Order: sequence, then structure tokens, then C-alpha cells
Amino acid sequence: MEWEVDERELKAAGAELLPDGRRGVRIHGWEIESFKRPILNSLSLQQWEQKLQTSHLPEMIFGDSSLVCKHVNSGIRVYFNTFDALVGWKQEALPPVEVPAAAEWKFRSKPSQQVILDYDYTFTTPYCGSQALEKNSEHGRGAISEDGSCSLHWEDCKEQIDVVALASKEPILFYDEVVLYEDELADNGVSLLTVKVRVMPSCWFLLLRFWLRVDGVLMRLRETRMHCVFRDSAKPIILRESCWREATFQALSSKGYPSDSAAYNDPSNISQRLPIIMQKTQKLKIPDNL
Amino acid sequence: MSDLDRQIEQLKRCEPLKESEVKALCLKAMEILVEESNVQRVDAPVTICGDIHGQFYDMKELFRVGGDCPKTNYLFLGDFVDRGFYSVETFLLLLALKVRYPDRITLIRGNHESRQITQVYGFYDECLRKYGSVNVWRYCTDIFDYLSLSALIENKIFSVHGGLSPAISTLDQIRTIDRKQEVPHDGGMCDLLWSDPEDIVDGWGLSPRGAGFLFGGSVVTSFNHSNNIDYICRAHQLVMEGYKWMFNNQIVTVWSAPNYCYRCGNVAAILEMDENLNKQFRVFEAAPQESRGAPAKKPPPDYFL
Repeated sequence: MEWEVDERELKAAGAELLPDGRRGVRIHGWEIESFKRPILNSLSLQQWEQKLQTSHLPEMIFGDSSLVCKHVNSGIRVYFNTFDALVGWKQEALPPVEVPAAAEWKFRSKPSQQVILDYDYTFTTPYCGSQALEKNSEHGRGAISEDGSCSLHWEDCKEQIDVVALASKEPILFYDEVVLYEDELADNGVSLLTVKVRVMPSCWFLLLRFWLRVDGVLMRLRETRMHCVFRDSAKPIILRESCWREATFQALSSKGYPSDSAAYNDPSNISQRLPIIMQKTQKLKIPDNL
Repeated sequence: MSDLDRQIEQLKRCEPLKESEVKALCLKAMEILVEESNVQRVDAPVTICGDIHGQFYDMKELFRVGGDCPKTNYLFLGDFVDRGFYSVETFLLLLALKVRYPDRITLIRGNHESRQITQVYGFYDECLRKYGSVNVWRYCTDIFDYLSLSALIENKIFSVHGGLSPAISTLDQIRTIDRKQEVPHDGGMCDLLWSDPEDIVDGWGLSPRGAGFLFGGSVVTSFNHSNNIDYICRAHQLVMEGYKWMFNNQIVTVWSAPNYCYRCGNVAAILEMDENLNKQFRVFEAAPQESRGAPAKKPPPDYFL
């Protein structure tokens, strides 16, 4: 059953749900909207394979699903989609991770008679969201291209996301979780990219998470959090924190943690056990002419 | 009404059996399954079904579309358990039907019918949650070892969960496998349950994981030719349209879990074959929400950080 909002809380916050069966909310000049669609069919899949120049994609691609946060007046749009995430996977192109059984298979298989595929089947991606200045926004500012030089970009900053404020139990006016892609690694673990969002009277907050578990070998957790506190000024302030964690089962086991895969089903519960390998906070730099 | 008929009725309502009943049912099933060949003969007409994965209400939808057992003769290609919410009820209903109508339903083993895999992907936890102990999981996984590895329909259509193996070129080689064991990590028995057809190789390919075979069109051509079969029918991989032919109609994948994992939005299919081996795919969608029993409770707000 889906989560439901309290109408009175919406009203008190000056917010309204998006009309016409759309999923999302309008609040303080923002439109937060999620799109949840079925996985791509075979025909679309072929088109994606051509566009991405690969013959291997995750088995569950929610290619028409996305999450969009749009600041209506400025035309600033922060969004999350599957295609951009897979472009990131193609570019990073990590070497394959061998499963435990691979050691035994080396004696068995005869490489001379086989093609050994070597793409990154874990679909690990550095993706941390997309952003654009929307043409034809209400003020008519056009001609600024997506991610172009005079457009939006992220700058490292000293500020941190205010976790204390986020821990307060403000009412949640909109919540959703969107799966972007998923692969079962042929029953050798899980690769899952999701984004979830919650909108409160004072801010919106979202978490994009890439979660990888190759059973018996390693886990990767790449999380991006974004936080935007509502304010009256025309230019919103958006903070983005990326945190990458990674550990092998061997390393966890040597620290006395369990090493069976079943103990690692929910990344929220075990993330603290995985050492941080990269962390940075950035702020969205908005052009002065806005 | 016999105990068994009563149990079937109960399972059709998605109510699990008592632990003692499961134990007795598994003992009876074992006596039947132990007699089956690794390449179990199946007569047409028959309806072939792919992965179910504990999606009980969608399997009921499958029976609604395909007809009830025993009126319809069924062949299930494995992966009854894991991932869905009702692996216990799903597998026990199929097993009870097997015991009641042994000649009208054939169950072969998928890679999820294994102790190791079920401990990671849901069935073990579900048994523990529903029975408070792992005894039912033990009875069921012991039965998994007895499930046949493949089926041969009218000597013309070879059916298996995963695919082919470089260690196996004839059906007789499959017949000599000692199958009554946990699925091994390599070898012919492992490959039958795990391997996949792959467009971009012609012969044999090795997965980038370093384990797991991929087989191309020429492998299928030569297997079908030397065993005098028309085509191979397998499951194991999600296909959005419910079924997918490859390599010039020499192999077909059938997938029978609609809206897989309750979120993919895919359709499912079963393959109906008449007495002359004319085939017809029946495509179906997930069971409507209202037929799924009591709705889940409204979840609390998620204050994720």
C-alpha cells in the first residue's frame, strides 16, 4: 500500500499535490515529481543498446522512470534518470569482479575455445544526478544548454547538509522511491540504483543510492544526498553530498563481522561497516544572470 | 475428501500447511520424484511454465489462464521459490499437485531450488518467519535434490531451466548424472541450471564474473541436430514480453512471473502445446490487487537520512 499524505498538513504548509494523477507536490516555487513506469521492452532495449554502444545492460531498466525537482521561476531543474546513470557506467568502465567460483572455473574452462566477456557487469556508476536550466521557463530565459559552460555546475564547499534539522520529525508532505535500474547479477548478488525523496514544510531532501553486493566478494555503496531549504530569495541553495563506501567480504570478516551474504540485504543497516573511500560536499552554482 | 485434496484446497487459498503435514507431503513426493529420469519424458498436450518466484497470486492467475491441473497437463521449469512473498505456499501447492496427479504435472529444478541460494534470496527467511523454525526449509530443500534436471516432450522439445553445457552434448550424458545432491558450483548439472544463451558469442562464452557459461547459436544448432530435437525451451531470464525466441527459433525463453518482484511491470507467458506440438503462447498480466488477499498496512513515514 502506498504512503498517504495528510491533507491538512499540506494546506498548512502552503503546498498542493500535482493535479491530474501526477505523483508529486508543489511547494515554495518547487515542483517535485516522480515518474514510475515499467521496465523497458525489447524494442526500447535495443535502442538503448545502440545509443549506449553496448550489448549488455541491466536486466531491469526503468528507463522511463525518473525524479524531477524543478524550481519553476528560475527554470533550475535537478533530476535523476536511468540513461544518464548508464552513460556514467559506460565511462567509468571498471574491470569485472570475479565471483568466488571463478577460481575453480579457471581449471575447468579452456580459454582458447571461448569468448571471455569483460564488461563491468556490476553496472557501477559514478552518477550523482543531472541538472539543467530549462528553456522557456516562465521568465523566458532560454538558450542556456544543459550542463553548458554558462549553465549550472557544482562547486566544492565547506557547508554540510544539516542532518540535525533533517532528523526532526517534521510532517512529510510527499515521499517516493524510484528504482532506476536493477540487476540480480545472475543470482550472484544485487546491483540497484534508486532515488528516494521526502518533502517537508521547510525543505526537500533526497538520496540517490547505488548499492552493489557481489556475493562473497565485495560491496559498494555510492550515495548522493541533496538538500534544499526553502527560502524566499529567487535563487535556491542546493547542497549535495556524495559518499562512496566499499569493502570486501574478506575485510569485513577479518574485523569480526559476518561474512554471509544474507547479513547484507539492507544497505541502510550495514553502511557504517563499510569504510568511506570518497566524500565531498558541493553547492549548486547558479549563473549570476539568473 | 482425502487429506491431500483438503490440503490442496487449503494451499489454493494461500494458507500454508502445518509442519507435520509438510513433512508427510515431502516424504510422499520423494517416492514419486526418485523414480523420475534426469530427462523426464513428457507427453503432449502440455503447458510449459517458466519462473514463478513465490508470486503465489500470479501463479493462480497462470492457472486461471492455462486451466486447472489435472485438466491441463503442466511442465514447470523451476525457480518456484525466492524473491516473492509466498514461496512456501507456491512450492507446497505445486508439490501437493505433483503427489496428487503425478502424471499431470512435471516439476524440474531451477537454480533457486538450492540450499545455498535460498538462504540469500528469501525462501529460508520466509520459512523461518512463517514456521518459527527452519524445519520446513529443510524438508523442502531435501526435496529439491530429487527434482529432475530436464524434460523431453514427445522426443522433440528439450526443456531445461538454464541451458546447455560444454560437458554435455547428448541427452544420454544428462541421464547418467547423479542428481541427488545440492547443485554443484561447476560441471554439467550446474550448467543446465545456470547457463544462458548469448547473442554476441557464436560458440561458448564465459561470463565476466569468471563463472557461468554463455552459449551461442552454433552450440544450439549442433545440440539440437545431434539429439534430433526441434528446439529448446528454457526459463531463467526475465523477458519483458513473457517469451523470447533466439537463434532462428532454435531456443525459446519462457518467463511466467508477471510484474516481477512486484515492480517491473512486465507481462508473463506460458507455452501451450497441443497433441501435434502446435504451439501457442498465452500472455498474461499480474493478478489484480483486490484478488491478493488483505492489503498491507499503511507504511510509516520514512525519515531516511
